[in-house]
Amino acid sequence: MKFFKKTTVKDKKTREADSVISKDINKNITRLKEDFAHDSDLVVHYFKLENNRGLICANIYIKSLVDRSTINSLSIELEKLKCDCPDRKSVINIDGLMDYFSGVREAKEGLDYETLCTDLLSGNTVFLIDGCEKYLAVSAGSDEGRSVEEPSSQTVIKGPKDGFTEKINSNILLIRKRIKSKDLKVEYLCAGSITRTTISLMYIHKIAQDEIVQEIRTRLNKIEIDGVLESGYIEELIKDDRYSVFPTFLSSEKPDSVAGALLEGRVAILVDGTPYVLTAPALMIEFLQSSEDYYHHYIISSMMRFLRLLAFFLTLLVPATYIALTLFHQEIIPTPLLISIAAQREGVPFPALMEALLMEITFEILREAGIRMPRAIGSAVSIVGALVLGQAAVEAGIISAAMVIVVSITAISSFAVPNYEMSNAIRLVRFILMLMAGVFGLYGILMGLIVLILHLCKIKSVTVPYLTPIAPKVKRESQDTLFRFPLWKMKYRPIGISGTDAARTGESNPVNSSQKEKQELR
Amino acid sequence: MKLRRFLFIFTVLQILFFTGCWSSHEVNTLGITVCIGIDKTENGYLVSKQIINPRAIASDKATMESPIVVYTTEVNNMAEVSSRFMTQVSRKINDSHLRLVVFSEAVAKEGIQNVLDYFARNHEFRTDYYFVVARNATAKEILGILTPIETIPGVDMYNSLNMSEKEWAPIKTIRIIELVSSIMADGKNPVLMGIEISQNKTSPKSTEVLKQSGEYKLLKYSNLGVLSNDKLVGWLDEDESKGYNYITGNVKSTVEHVYFDEVKITSMTTKVKSSTRVYLLENKPAIEVKIKIRQNIRSVEGSFDIISEENKQILNEMFAGKVKSSCEKALNKMQKELRTDVFGFGEAIHRKYPKIWKKIKDDWNDKFSNLPVNITVEVETKQLGEITKPLFMKEEE
Repeated sequence: MKFFKKTTVKDKKTREADSVISKDINKNITRLKEDFAHDSDLVVHYFKLENNRGLICANIYIKSLVDRSTINSLSIELEKLKCDCPDRKSVINIDGLMDYFSGVREAKEGLDYETLCTDLLSGNTVFLIDGCEKYLAVSAGSDEGRSVEEPSSQTVIKGPKDGFTEKINSNILLIRKRIKSKDLKVEYLCAGSITRTTISLMYIHKIAQDEIVQEIRTRLNKIEIDGVLESGYIEELIKDDRYSVFPTFLSSEKPDSVAGALLEGRVAILVDGTPYVLTAPALMIEFLQSSEDYYHHYIISSMMRFLRLLAFFLTLLVPATYIALTLFHQEIIPTPLLISIAAQREGVPFPALMEALLMEITFEILREAGIRMPRAIGSAVSIVGALVLGQAAVEAGIISAAMVIVVSITAISSFAVPNYEMSNAIRLVRFILMLMAGVFGLYGILMGLIVLILHLCKIKSVTVPYLTPIAPKVKRESQDTLFRFPLWKMKYRPIGISGTDAARTGESNPVNSSQKEKQELR
Repeated sequence: MKLRRFLFIFTVLQILFFTGCWSSHEVNTLGITVCIGIDKTENGYLVSKQIINPRAIASDKATMESPIVVYTTEVNNMAEVSSRFMTQVSRKINDSHLRLVVFSEAVAKEGIQNVLDYFARNHEFRTDYYFVVARNATAKEILGILTPIETIPGVDMYNSLNMSEKEWAPIKTIRIIELVSSIMADGKNPVLMGIEISQNKTSPKSTEVLKQSGEYKLLKYSNLGVLSNDKLVGWLDEDESKGYNYITGNVKSTVEHVYFDEVKITSMTTKVKSSTRVYLLENKPAIEVKIKIRQNIRSVEGSFDIISEENKQILNEMFAGKVKSSCEKALNKMQKELRTDVFGFGEAIHRKYPKIWKKIKDDWNDKFSNLPVNITVEVETKQLGEITKPLFMKEEE
């Protein structure tokens, strides 16, 4: 936007003149060749229709972007066209070509030089005809890329195992296949002044709230950046509270969970080139839920949710509590346990806080190294890690055995939090809480938790408070918060997120009540 | 704006580095006290503290060191204790895990009021430790004795007191809140458990001796000490202690036996319920104590048909008589000899007839010794055990 503001009237005029395709085909081609100078990928192929007589035509494409076999079959079709041409005098123009190709291929016309370039760069092959101010773009993009595979970051035991890929079209297909409704809307946008990345917005009309869709659309249109390479870019640019470490967009690799989100009235943002699809509004509680929750028996799922919540608090609080108790509140620890801790800590040279930080940081380094390492060396990391973290440190008397247990519990619990970004956020908060505990004891942990909760209450995900339905309290939503109610009990979509069509089943729509409650939320 | 942000961060950092931590102590800089012993000296008290030696307990590094160290210091009053100990011990004394306070008989006889004030006032103490009185030994001696199985004597004594109260009728535990409130209450006096050294050949002062089992001195609980207000006035023997616990309803389960001719029959009490009722007898308060016991038969040593309803009835009555005699023995001793109301009868009268209580309050000890107390015991035998008739009973045809 800034760029356009700076342009003067004079600039605009010259730009307009520039953007028109010239009637002279050679002029156009020279211009293209100038623009694409040093780019040996550009292929310009001249030919004449009507048995090599008549108007000069050009077929232009970028070698690496197009599929060779498509180009081959196109040229065969062109040859056929030459032979088929019964009336030698008939003037073949762009419209004629268009009619010919549109039957079998995705073809479109254009007038603008800039769009011509974009079409070329999107993998189309472009036809120019001398004396014609139009061009014809025929889709010939190569379909290279990963095929649909099982997602690597979100594995499930029960449930669909297909995952998104880097190709936006195949991703949309995966969602469309699941929701066969004419109300499922797909809007295309473009972001990144250089990368021109395709972004698509998906939502179900009426089930999604219009205001939220509009809000996301406006925010996406406002994006100013040179390139978008991953959906993380989008999240960071359109987030409500940009300083918060907590994710307010749920990124998912699984089409079924995105479809589930769409059915709850959420909006999905797909970015070309990444298998991670964002859904918003994303609430705190969603990050502790898994798509598998809905595929298992509801009592089992509820139990799993409690387990995850427990893991969430364990990973947040265990090291901090251990530090606080052993440093400040020894009287709280049961006598036998205290004696055992005292015996273990005998001869440990570090203060408890240092010991905890040392172990936690070692673990974080190991975890980070394990991710970045080539797979072949991965086992080496775990061997060294197990030895360093576990045995050697304890045997050498540098670290107490109790601390190893604390760190292990924390680590295991952090893996039980289903969302990677959320578990990263908690990891950061955990370190702050550990410092607070080391300085102020339980009092410090409480202070830290108060600040944390205040922060969580403050942030929003696309105008929806992050902690709904806990704060603000929405009673009806408790059906799908900590407990997972049986599906036949979940009659309504979440308030504050879903639009006018709030009833899941065919029952009467509680429009009035839901709107009333919605107003209370605001 | 920039300055304000800088100041904000600066203040936050100050919080981190300049305050806080003032009460923080690493666990390995603490001396954890498990037992305190208080003896009498001419100028004040001789206080001993049993402190854990964590290095000796660490499981992976077995040492020949003693698991505890007993430090002793003489003080004028209890408040000096912690500070005086610092001259001997390299670690901060932490009293919050205290398990047992042992008074010597001399201290208990002189009165424990002043000592208790210290224990009740100090915030470091939890309230879950027990008070006991050392019999025929000084508190310091008691603290110095090592125990087998549980390496830390304080914990061992605490656990055995805890367990035996549930399993054996003469035992009574008392914690600080109950002790203080029954000293302060009108018409009620506390009892303290006695602890003594059972005489064996050697005293295990080092772990070396513990290697020979059964050849060393052990600690054991016996007899209840009766306090009049805060002063020890006398001891109840085992039978009387039992009686005391039956009357106050403090028996959870215990073992009783009776002789029927030559046959010894033992029962396990499973449930005891006792209720104290105050009523007026010729305008003077009187007490009725009802004790209901439910029991199972544990052993029959001889020929006795316990299946017959008739015999069962006889058994019940015999057991009831046994319990009743214990109770009466305890009552007699309290009323006639020690003249102290440890049963809380005064309190019961206070609750029911406050006006009468006001009149008799001042010379309650005299009134108590003449108080008519009527004890009734009901025994119900529930189960006869896995077998019915005694194993070697001869069938008579």
